[in-house]
Amino acid sequence: MSITPLRPRAGANSHDGPPVRLVTPGVQAAAGMQDDNALFRAVVMSHIDEAYRLARWLTANGTDAEDVVQDASLRAFRAIRSYAGGNPRAWFLSIVRNTAYSWLHKNRPAAIVAVDDLEAVEREHVKADDRRDDTPEGSLIAQVDAEQLRAAIAQLPAPFRETLVLRDIEGLDYREIAEATEVPIGTVMSRLARARRRLVEMLRQDD
Amino acid sequence: MSRPRSDDNSVLLVHAYLDGELDPANALSVAQQMSQEPALAAEAEHVRELQNLIHDHLTREEAPSSLRARIESRIGSTRQLSATPSWMHSWRALAASIAVAAIVASGSTWLVVSSQQKPVQVAELLVSDHIRSLMAPEPVDVVSSDRHTVKPWFNGRIPNSPRVVDLAKDDFPLVGGRVDVIGRTPVATLVYRRAKHLISLTIVAAGDAFAIGGPHSINGYNIVRWTENGVTYWAISDVEAKELETFAQLFRTSRNEL
Repeated sequence: MSITPLRPRAGANSHDGPPVRLVTPGVQAAAGMQDDNALFRAVVMSHIDEAYRLARWLTANGTDAEDVVQDASLRAFRAIRSYAGGNPRAWFLSIVRNTAYSWLHKNRPAAIVAVDDLEAVEREHVKADDRRDDTPEGSLIAQVDAEQLRAAIAQLPAPFRETLVLRDIEGLDYREIAEATEVPIGTVMSRLARARRRLVEMLRQDD
Repeated sequence: MSRPRSDDNSVLLVHAYLDGELDPANALSVAQQMSQEPALAAEAEHVRELQNLIHDHLTREEAPSSLRARIESRIGSTRQLSATPSWMHSWRALAASIAVAAIVASGSTWLVVSSQQKPVQVAELLVSDHIRSLMAPEPVDVVSSDRHTVKPWFNGRIPNSPRVVDLAKDDFPLVGGRVDVIGRTPVATLVYRRAKHLISLTIVAAGDAFAIGGPHSINGYNIVRWTENGVTYWAISDVEAKELETFAQLFRTSRNEL
């Protein structure tokens, strides 16, 4: 895939490869000038709500999400000196995400597909999706309620779900999502398109 | 009608267009394509409907306060403080920039920042917050020129609600707000714009130490500070000192608030 005529943003890398955190002397200086505690607050504590919601979408459980976020926060605290001044929200959410997958792997191995297998899952879904050749007509049912919507999102495979949640619920931009989920922007774009299509299909079928 | 595969370039671009990720030239070309190809127009319509559904139905739940408290206590037991103001020398390397930070305080029940913080330290922390905000993709966490949006955003993020005034008619439009940190205390910072410069206005409970002394500029960033009703306001920016004074004066005297 060779697209990304995306709007350049200050502080973001503008190529389609793996996300690269910009490290400038100025940023490092800014990071170093406060004590670890202040940095931890700015990077981690001010994004606890987003972290909690992401963990909740990934674990499908509030209590588990709390454990994940607590664990991720401690990891982030230990790693705070390695925080190089990139997007703080994306940095912390990537730790939350990795912590959530480790947690699921350990505590609910049956509930998720191993991260290694995600690409295979994705390919399968692509095939299935593209078998539906017709553009769905008409609009989504207007009576979808919050529960149906939540259930539909929860059914999305994890890579699609996290991408959709970060974009359409949390409002991250593509570059932040690429950084948080550790994939190229092109992958973010295709996952997002697929996630949305699948949701539309599901909500329509519920009709 | 047949529809393009989900990883078709044109489909991805429609999504990117709706997400505001395209530059103007590409946005225009995608908009044209959508008007010519019903399948792409339908794709766009579905995405919009989906986003509306999500917006209408899914409330963004906040983390339980007990979770925050647990993290605080766990961190507290392993914490080592180390102030390292080694950043002074590198400021000049920063691009000519745009920010003014002002600290605004009002009301009488603001959390008092540790009295060990001297004005000069607070000023340095705030200037550093200001600089850091300039290097972030956005200088604010909530982007809005509407004070009715910015003020409530601080609810639950800091202990008190900041005074937010509308100075757009005086050519200091509100850009948004963010939470900065002084020591261990989160504080509200409002960001205003003056031409191409940004002004950070940070609002701190006025410990006695804040009221007096402290520098009027640090490495080219001007600082204006005032205290009112037990709250200290810090304005920081690279606009000229005189303009920053004007801003402070307007902010203090404005009746155009919530």
